[in-house]
Order: sequence, then C-alpha cells, then structure tokens
Amino acid sequence: MPKCTIDGREVEFKAGENLIEVARKVGIEVPYFCYHPALTVVAQCRMCAVEVEKMPKLQTACSTPAAEGMVVRTNSERAKQNQKSIMEFLLINHPLDCPICDKAGECDLQDNSYKYGDAYMRTSEERRTYLDLDMGPVIKKNMNRCIHCTRCIRFGTEVAGIHEMVAVQRGNNTEITTIDGRPLETDYAGNYADICPTGSLTLKDFRFHKRAWMLKKTATVCEGCSKGCNMEIHQDNNVIHRTVPRANPEINKYWLCDEGRFNYHYVVDPKRVTAPKVGAERSTWHAAVAEAKARLHGKKVVVLAGTDLTLEEAKLLQDFVPKAFPGSALLHFGTPGIETTAKDAPADKILKRKSKTSNLNGFEKLGIKPLESMPAADAILVVRGGRAQLPKVEGLSNVIGLGVFTESESASFAAVLPGTSFAEKDGTIVNYEGREQRLRRAITPVGQSKALGEVLMLWLHSGAAKEAAV
Amino acid sequence: MLVKRDTTALQNLYILEVLKGLWITMKNMLFVRHVTIQYPEERRNYSDRYRGMHYIKATNGVENCTACMLCPTVCPAECIHIEAGERPDKEKYPVKFDIDVLRCCFCGMCEEACPKDAIKLSKIYEMSLSTRKVYDKDYLLEQRGHK
Repeated sequence: MPKCTIDGREVEFKAGENLIEVARKVGIEVPYFCYHPALTVVAQCRMCAVEVEKMPKLQTACSTPAAEGMVVRTNSERAKQNQKSIMEFLLINHPLDCPICDKAGECDLQDNSYKYGDAYMRTSEERRTYLDLDMGPVIKKNMNRCIHCTRCIRFGTEVAGIHEMVAVQRGNNTEITTIDGRPLETDYAGNYADICPTGSLTLKDFRFHKRAWMLKKTATVCEGCSKGCNMEIHQDNNVIHRTVPRANPEINKYWLCDEGRFNYHYVVDPKRVTAPKVGAERSTWHAAVAEAKARLHGKKVVVLAGTDLTLEEAKLLQDFVPKAFPGSALLHFGTPGIETTAKDAPADKILKRKSKTSNLNGFEKLGIKPLESMPAADAILVVRGGRAQLPKVEGLSNVIGLGVFTESESASFAAVLPGTSFAEKDGTIVNYEGREQRLRRAITPVGQSKALGEVLMLWLHSGAAKEAAV
Repeated sequence: MLVKRDTTALQNLYILEVLKGLWITMKNMLFVRHVTIQYPEERRNYSDRYRGMHYIKATNGVENCTACMLCPTVCPAECIHIEAGERPDKEKYPVKFDIDVLRCCFCGMCEEACPKDAIKLSKIYEMSLSTRKVYDKDYLLEQRGHK
C-alpha cells in the first residue's frame, strides 16, 4: 500500500482516498463544511485547506487525493491562519442566534468556530437578511444562517434524485432556495436538515422541542419497511423527540426516508391504548386477561401476528399457540398485497421497499404462514407491534388485541392487552436480504403496556388458563 | 451524682447574686453597641450582588427570554422547566417558565449562563409563603428587580 506523511505520521492509504479520509485514519481532524463522504466534492468552503510540501499554495484536503510520499501539515501556521480567516469570513453574515437555533449543540459551524475561530469579530457592517418562503411540511428554512456549502443542492441531485434546491444570485447575495419557491417534493426531505452544517434547514417536526444536548441517544433500527435502515432514537424523560439516521455504508449509507423518520409518532400518540381494555372500558390486567381467556376458551381460534414483531416474539407465539389453543393456526399479516418476501421489491430507487413492516423475512424463516384470506373462526387473537396494517376484523365478535393499537382501531375488539412498540423492546429483526439486526429499547413501555413475554406468562399462569393450557 | 457546693449564708439569700446578674444585663443594654436591628421597621442594606428572588427581565413589555434552555442545562438543582414556542412577534419564546423555588439553591448560575440578560436574582429576600409555590412565568415577569 502507498504511504504518505500527515503531521509527521506515516499513513497507509488506498489509491484515490482524499486527505480528509486519510487523516481521519490516524485520528487527525481536518475541519470542513461542504465536504460529505457520500456527496461529490466541490471544495467550496475552503475550510479544509492544508499545507502540502512542494506545493506553493494551500490545498483543500477534500479535493486532493493522497499520493505516494506526500508530506502534509494540517496544523502549520499557514493552515491555522487560513482556518481562522475562513471562520471569520463565514461569520460575517451569520446571525449568531444560537440561543434560538435548533442546531445549536450539534452545529458544525458552532463547533468549528470554538475550535478554530477567533473569539473576537472585526466587522461592524449590517448583516444581510432574507425573507424565507415556506418549504413544505418537513423543513423550515432560515437563509440568514446559511454558509453556502451547497450540500443540500448536491444531496437533492445526487441522492434524492430531484434537482429542487438551487443557488440563485451571486457572491454576497447568493440565496439557496427551491426552484420558484415551490415546497420540497422529495420523500427524503428530512435529510436536508441532517446534512446542513448550520441551522439553515431544520426539521419542523423537532422545532423547539428540545436542545440537542439534552437528548439521550439509542442506536436502533428503523421498522418502517423491510430495508432495515439504521437509526438513532433521541429521547428525553421517556418521550421520543426525533429519530435520525445512523451511518451504515451497507444499508442506508447516511440517509433515512421521511416515512421512517416520522414513524415514531404512534409510540407517543395520545390515542394509543396504553391500559388494558375490556370492551370500551378501561380495566385491570387481571380482569382483561381473564376476559380474553374466557372469550377464546374452547372456541376455534385463529392467531394473527403482525410482521412488525421481533424474531423473539414470533418464536414465543409459535411455542405459545399450540399450548394455549391446540390445533389452531398462527398466520402473519403486515402489508396488504405483500404477503411473502417474493412479492417484496424496492418501492423507489433509494431506500424504500414495498413491505411496510420490518420482519417479514424473519417470519418466513420461522415457517409461519401468511394470511391470504380470513379463515373461518369463532375467535381471533391479533398480535402486532403497531406498524403492521390490520386485516379486516370488523363485524367479527370475540376479537382480542394484544400489542399496540389506537382507540379507533380497537373499537370493535372484545379486549385489548397493551403491548410494546419497536422503541420499547429489545429484539432481532431480519431485513429483506437476510441481515439480522438488533432493535434496542430506547424508552420504558408507555403507560401500563407490557412486553409480549410477560403477557403470555400472565395468560398461562393465571386462574382458568392453567386448565386450558394443560 | 449530687455535688455539694460550698456556699455561704449570704449567697444562699440570692439578693446580692441577683443584683450582680442584673448589673451585667443593664451594662449590656446601656453601654454596649447593639448587634440586632428592629426588623421589619429597620432593614439592612444588602450588597448588589445578593441573590434573592428570581425574576425575568422584560424590555418594552416583552420578556428578554428566548427559551434557549441554558439555565435548565446549567442548573445544579434542576429546578427550571421551560417549554419553547413560537409567536408572530418573536421567533422563540418561553410558553412555560417554571422555577420550583423549593429546590433552588440560589447559586446564581442561571443568571450567569443567560445570554439574553433575562433571568435575574433580585435583592428580595422575603420569600416565605404559607403554601408551596412554583414560580410561573406570570409571577416571574413582575419586574421586581433592581438590576
């Protein structure tokens, strides 16, 4: 492997790697704004300029591929002076409204200003200001804070596949905007807020909810479709405030679709049933389990399991069903029309897939059969995690719900036993290509919800259930 | 255990002893400088840096606070609770601003952290109440400070 020297340290690199990536290998940080590993290199912000021996001028590290025998200095006097000047230049027009800005605490401009900038400012001129047009339901724009890194423009054309953000005017008057001021159309608009190095593009959904440093982060996996994108849940005080993508070069790279990003809302939905219910009445766990058991006792039962459950939960049900209801069927449901993995296909050219639940592949591996048409039954037990689309069970009596339901979904149910959603449990899900990934518990179960294992234990070990099970 | 004291008959009469004691009392009353004051008629003048009851400073009737959450972040007693919101004349403002003053330790770090000169500790020290009160935004916005 070829070698070069960065700050006096020898580094091996692969041909074509740029200096930022090579320096990162040995823990040397080169500051940058416009560079993003998944986007093309434009070398626009000039922040990453470093000194390369035998080259008369500073070279931008993002656009300079490492070469054999290259000697690079990232912290020489000239490089440092350049960083200081660039920071001062960028802050000429930046409003410094960090107390109001949602990005504060995770802002590249803020961090780099502390590390490489000067604490004093020499400008006394008025800052330029813009009138911001609405950009649709996902993104809130504040052009005053923009530093023209053009990451958003490049993300739109290169990743989201839609050229909707443009830079109009020149020089000091440059404005980043959508064409004709139209609202954003892409289904991946949330990523604009993630890649923006300042607070110019922020999420409306997260606006003023919490400051970034107050959030506790849990690495988990999205349950929005069978792709299994990696993401982080950010919560504080057992309330989920947002979910952000987690880089995984083999699945989702750095991105997350809006559907998956805002999927967490059902977990904290005020309409979610979080206490046991008998009919329309709130009840206790003891009474609700007894009622559910009485309803299903001695009848021809069909157990329907949503493919949004984890592998562990599916296996529990597989063991539980023949014990509790001998001879009854366990079928899975999830997305209408996509009953098997053979029918699952990419829904667009980026991330989304047609199966809108996370674990269809896992259910197939366990040998659980799909629900093609509703079989004849006297009683139905529906188990789901909150994401799978319910099959038509209206008009049937003796339907018991176990898992996450809203009030309206469970209106016709005989009893509801509240379960846990993807954010409230640990478990394994298998994505469309057979990759097993872990869901991590980010918050404790909301209200009186219980994990599936606990509910099944209650079922098997309370009162009349013992006789039914044996 | 009983201790037998050797006292004279004169001492046992107590008249002289009481007069001796009264003399000390009278001496202190008449000739020694007093250290106490007649509160609440008389009041001491406290330093300008005294940290008493909280208030939120307002400029032209608008609260200075922008709900940046630096004070709840720095607060060691975790007694400040803010909810941020948006309104036409102000991009970000506190919808709720509660100080659980029973938990407050009057360290003044909130005042120090505030970038907007909004939260202040006044010189007011008469804060006892007959009920447990959480200072809400309306209460804090009464301009009672001198700073």
